[in-house]
Amino acid sequence: MRACKALIRHCRFYPIDSVLSLGVIALIIWVLWASISWIVQAADWSVVSSHLPLFASGSYPLDQRWRPLLWISLLAALTLITLIVPIKRGSNRWMGMVLPWCWVFMIPLGLVLMAGGLGLTPVPSRAWGGISLTLLLTVCSAVLALPFGILLALGRTSDLPVLRHSSRLYIDVMRAVPLIAVLFFGKLLIPLFLPMQLEINQVLRAVVAFALFAAAYVAEDVRGGLQAIPETQREAAAVLGLSPLQSLQLVVLPQALRIAIPALTNQAIGLLQNTSLMALLGLVELLGIAQNLLANPAFIGRHLEVYVWLGALYWLFCTAMALLARKIEHSGPTLNGRSA
Amino acid sequence: MTTAIKADHICKTYGAEHRALDDVCVDVISGEVLVVMGPSGSGKSTLIRTFNGLEEIDSGELDVLGIKLDNEADPRHVQRIRRRVGMVFQQFNLFPHLSILENITLAPMRVQKQTRVQAEAKARSLLEQMGISEQADKYPAQLSGGQQQRVAIARALALNPEIMLFDEPTSALDPERVKEVLDAMRTLANQGMTMVVVTHELGFAREVADRVLFMDSGRVIESADAKTFFNQAQQERTRKFLNQIN
Ligand SMILES: Nc1ncnc2c1ncn2[C@@H]1O[C@H](COP(=O)(O)OP(=O)(O)OP(=O)(O)O)[C@@H](O)[C@H]1O
Ligand SMILES: [Mg+2]
Repeated sequence: MRACKALIRHCRFYPIDSVLSLGVIALIIWVLWASISWIVQAADWSVVSSHLPLFASGSYPLDQRWRPLLWISLLAALTLITLIVPIKRGSNRWMGMVLPWCWVFMIPLGLVLMAGGLGLTPVPSRAWGGISLTLLLTVCSAVLALPFGILLALGRTSDLPVLRHSSRLYIDVMRAVPLIAVLFFGKLLIPLFLPMQLEINQVLRAVVAFALFAAAYVAEDVRGGLQAIPETQREAAAVLGLSPLQSLQLVVLPQALRIAIPALTNQAIGLLQNTSLMALLGLVELLGIAQNLLANPAFIGRHLEVYVWLGALYWLFCTAMALLARKIEHSGPTLNGRSA
Repeated sequence: MTTAIKADHICKTYGAEHRALDDVCVDVISGEVLVVMGPSGSGKSTLIRTFNGLEEIDSGELDVLGIKLDNEADPRHVQRIRRRVGMVFQQFNLFPHLSILENITLAPMRVQKQTRVQAEAKARSLLEQMGISEQADKYPAQLSGGQQQRVAIARALALNPEIMLFDEPTSALDPERVKEVLDAMRTLANQGMTMVVVTHELGFAREVADRVLFMDSGRVIESADAKTFFNQAQQERTRKFLNQIN
């Protein structure tokens, strides 16, 4: 009731504002209505629904498809569990200890499931594709980029001029070059550094190039976190007899990383979206699948459906990542009076 | 009567000219409580921070628990000294990402390689002694200033130090919280701990100090036993300072 009155008052005093607001609201409703009616009535989703396994795993051998599917399902399940189970520190210590290890374990598990070995039939990386490839690229390059980025950030803030300048040079160069260029360089250059016989697989090459690129951005985010930690924290660690390395590992980095989580989440989301650039390099990840599908004359005129479906998938993954990050951030105690 | 800290003509300069410590001589005897007083910027913090190697001296000789702390001191020696000298800061400086118990057990477990069980038992008994045993599983941000400072004292005591340094431990506290921290320090002094305390708490100094040191502009103006210091200070500068803060 109060809100209504306030609204009416507002309209009396600001007539032009009110007309504009009404116009915008009408526009939003019209767009929503048009979209929903297209999604429900006009669109023909058969192009998507009949190719769901293809979107999930690309041209993975049919009899082995359960492997990428299993990995995706496990990831989804773990995400749900992590989001649902309360992990306030102290109260649910067991979950707080086990869940991080489950996440770490998902990476080798994904690699083994996709590549084979340990009793599974080997599947060459050129047969990998779809969502499973997109997720594998994202997770692997994020996991490589984080430690490398932390090292760069430490180098960048180091007292040693050599370290400081070289880290800074690396960061500046990487940030000045577009990702697509780094990826092409990676594709062309990395093989030059390796012995002739060793044919390293495309996915690995892409992951390394991605990680090298992302590390520069991660470094700047971590540096922001490091700078937010007051010098007195290092002093407090030092007077307890902790070595500089212990002080870094036990006192400074845990706090700096916590502070950097929102910025790092942005990087992770960017990384996921950037994996779509791999389609240009011939990896058939999610976007690659879509393009292959649309190249088939049978699906002429179904562009919109496929891209809307793609958009929905990327949205889902990014939202899941953002929610996970928020969960991690909130599972720790308050730092410096900031509620976390 | 062994000497815990022996400072002989130590000097410390910041920048080109600014003398934070100017030819300071102090002896701290094992088991005694030395209170350091002086106006802001007189070098009290600088002095006390040289005692555990947080600040390097430029010249003079400094001997803490039999180990030389000068500008050529091996960083590992300094690190070893710090395990034997506890320090409490004005701003508590607890680790906000660790629980109270983890704050206290961190150094015993990582530096002295104690087991978790051992370190936690010691930590709980120290918290008990400080009168805050219910707070063990909370985080620093959930505690009042006075409680945080007592945790900081417990954290320093967990390494069984031979000397405790306090740099204005009650200056950041609400007046009604000062007493609980001073009480904890008094108990410590009664147990025979060697203490160097920078403070402006006259009551505490009168009652607990064995000796009082008065500094101004990086120099020691006066050094006397507590009774003499408060009742018949020799220097005009000291009497003026005491009148001001009384
Ligand atoms: N890191 C530093 N760089 C430059 N000058 C400093 C530094 N630390 C202290 N000083 C200077 O040295 C002098 C002594 O400082 P110190 O902190 O020891 O004084 P204090 O007696 O502890 O004062 P307060 O009561 O305000 O804490 C001051 O003039 C201060 O400006
Ligand atoms: Mg001071």
